[in-house]
Amino acid sequence: MQAREDFRPLYWTMLGLGLVAVLILALGVVTLLRFAPLGEHTGYRAQVTGVYLYDTRSGQVRGAPSSHFRRDQPFAAQVQWGHLPEGMVVAASWYDSLDTQVGGIGPAPAGQLADHNALVPVVTPSDLHANLPGTYTLKIVRYSGGQPVEVINSKAVVVVHDP
Amino acid sequence: MILTSAYRRRWRPSRYWLAGVLSLAIFVFLVIGSVASVAIGPVPLRATLFGLPTVGCIVAATVFFLRGLRDQPTVRGRDLTRAGVLLLVGAFLWLSVLDAFTFTQAAGPGVAAACAAACLPTTALGLLVLRRLDRNEKEPWRLVLVATAWGAIVSTSLAFWGETLWDTVFTANLLPGPAAITSTAYSAGILEEVAKGVAVLLLYLVMRDEFDDVVDGIVYGAAVGFGFNFMESIGWMTHLYATYSSEGTGVASAIGMWYWRQVIGLFFGHAAYTALIGAGIGVARQLPRARQRLLVIACGFLAAIAAHFAWDAWEALALTGVRDPLTLALLAHARYLFMVGPFVAVLLVMLAMGLQLEGVALRRALREEAESGSGAVQPAEVDVLMSPQRRFHARMSAFASSGLPGYLQVSRLQTAQLHLAMERWHRERQEMADPLAAENVLREQVLALRGAAA
Repeated sequence: MQAREDFRPLYWTMLGLGLVAVLILALGVVTLLRFAPLGEHTGYRAQVTGVYLYDTRSGQVRGAPSSHFRRDQPFAAQVQWGHLPEGMVVAASWYDSLDTQVGGIGPAPAGQLADHNALVPVVTPSDLHANLPGTYTLKIVRYSGGQPVEVINSKAVVVVHDP
Repeated sequence: MILTSAYRRRWRPSRYWLAGVLSLAIFVFLVIGSVASVAIGPVPLRATLFGLPTVGCIVAATVFFLRGLRDQPTVRGRDLTRAGVLLLVGAFLWLSVLDAFTFTQAAGPGVAAACAAACLPTTALGLLVLRRLDRNEKEPWRLVLVATAWGAIVSTSLAFWGETLWDTVFTANLLPGPAAITSTAYSAGILEEVAKGVAVLLLYLVMRDEFDDVVDGIVYGAAVGFGFNFMESIGWMTHLYATYSSEGTGVASAIGMWYWRQVIGLFFGHAAYTALIGAGIGVARQLPRARQRLLVIACGFLAAIAAHFAWDAWEALALTGVRDPLTLALLAHARYLFMVGPFVAVLLVMLAMGLQLEGVALRRALREEAESGSGAVQPAEVDVLMSPQRRFHARMSAFASSGLPGYLQVSRLQTAQLHLAMERWHRERQEMADPLAAENVLREQVLALRGAAA
């Protein structure tokens, strides 16, 4: 900031940008704390028995658990809801490789889900012929005060490409 | 030109040591990232096996290339050849990763090649526009292309491993929805911008003679961003193609991604983010105090991270839950306008301010050089050198009379004269480490070029 050119406007513009940046990033922290509040860790863990082929007519699973499925094979996760406290409100959802929610159950008390031996099937979106290939992630979350507050387990399987 | 005019010294300024430490840190990070990715498992092992040597090759090629620029003509060819071979080997290995394993696992090399061919013209257009904006003293193509290649190969590699680790450690344990989206936005903002910004920082530290001011910073930053955007576009296009090809909409999905990344996002994306880093480093180039320099460099990085974060986080704010295609399209366009638009506007203002300052200073330096009677710049040449159109006209006149050799000689002469003026400006502001004799050597070379052109 000497000689004949005045670099102060550039300097202050950069500092202004830095200040705006700090505010934006701080807003991000607030969002994180709002949707993933601290101090909600209970230590509970939902046990996933496995992911199985799913018969959409009978609503039952069959065969042995697997981590790979073809696109035209419906599948569902079996969770041991009975291992969780009866009154704990939980939900489980599947997400495809594009992070789109494709099926799920809940939120409902774990005891209620255990009574019905509730499965978590993947639902093929109506505008698709079959499941999209890629990694599918099951997330089981605990609710409190009407909002999800803690991930209590997750599991991933792969839907393989058509040969 | 300035490089050869500088004294050859046994010692190097501390910035070279800083650049060395930075390069070493990148390498160590890549090694740790690779080992961790093998241990954790989400990154394909083959990608790690091919990716790490690729980065090593590119780093070595950069070292040889930069050394080649400073070498005596007798050994320059050898170093540049080594750099070229290493670059080719690195590019081949990386394309092996890219095409066969990492992004195009299912789409295949043919689709990857088609995607690359689609992204090449738009990326080239971006670079041409960038060079056109740099109207006073254009940066050499070789450095602009090195920056682009670094952004495409090294920065993507750094970001890829970093983001995989971040996702495994943080995002996977967060609740789906806004929390996970915000975490991903932090990951993309911080890791990708640092990975790209390091390239600009290394150019600033190593190639100080070609890194003059805020304009140069914006140019190099945007070039790195174009390279990164090129490679990331190919990754996304092939991923979407592979995902939707079984449904018969693979091509349409890839074209849609090309539109967002290479048309709408060409200037409103990675190029803009990294240009913010470059602007900070460019402003720092001409500040007298170290504290001020560190502050504006930090502000540049923060602005880039925040702009990138804002763009990604828009998904959490506005796009979640929207199903109507028309509303989605409108909101997706608005995402670029409102999240990146203000940053691009500030960048353009800074570019205009930088060009104005640079133009005034260069005109004054050229005029003083002309008045000095050294003969390196004639009074009548000052107006020509300050106008891109008139410079081009002078080159075309030489082409008409002497063909391509004449064009190239006038081009070299103009470049050398502008470098001389830039040198005078930096010396006037006490921003040079080189002694005055270096300027005289440069002046003599301008005179030699003038003689050859005549």
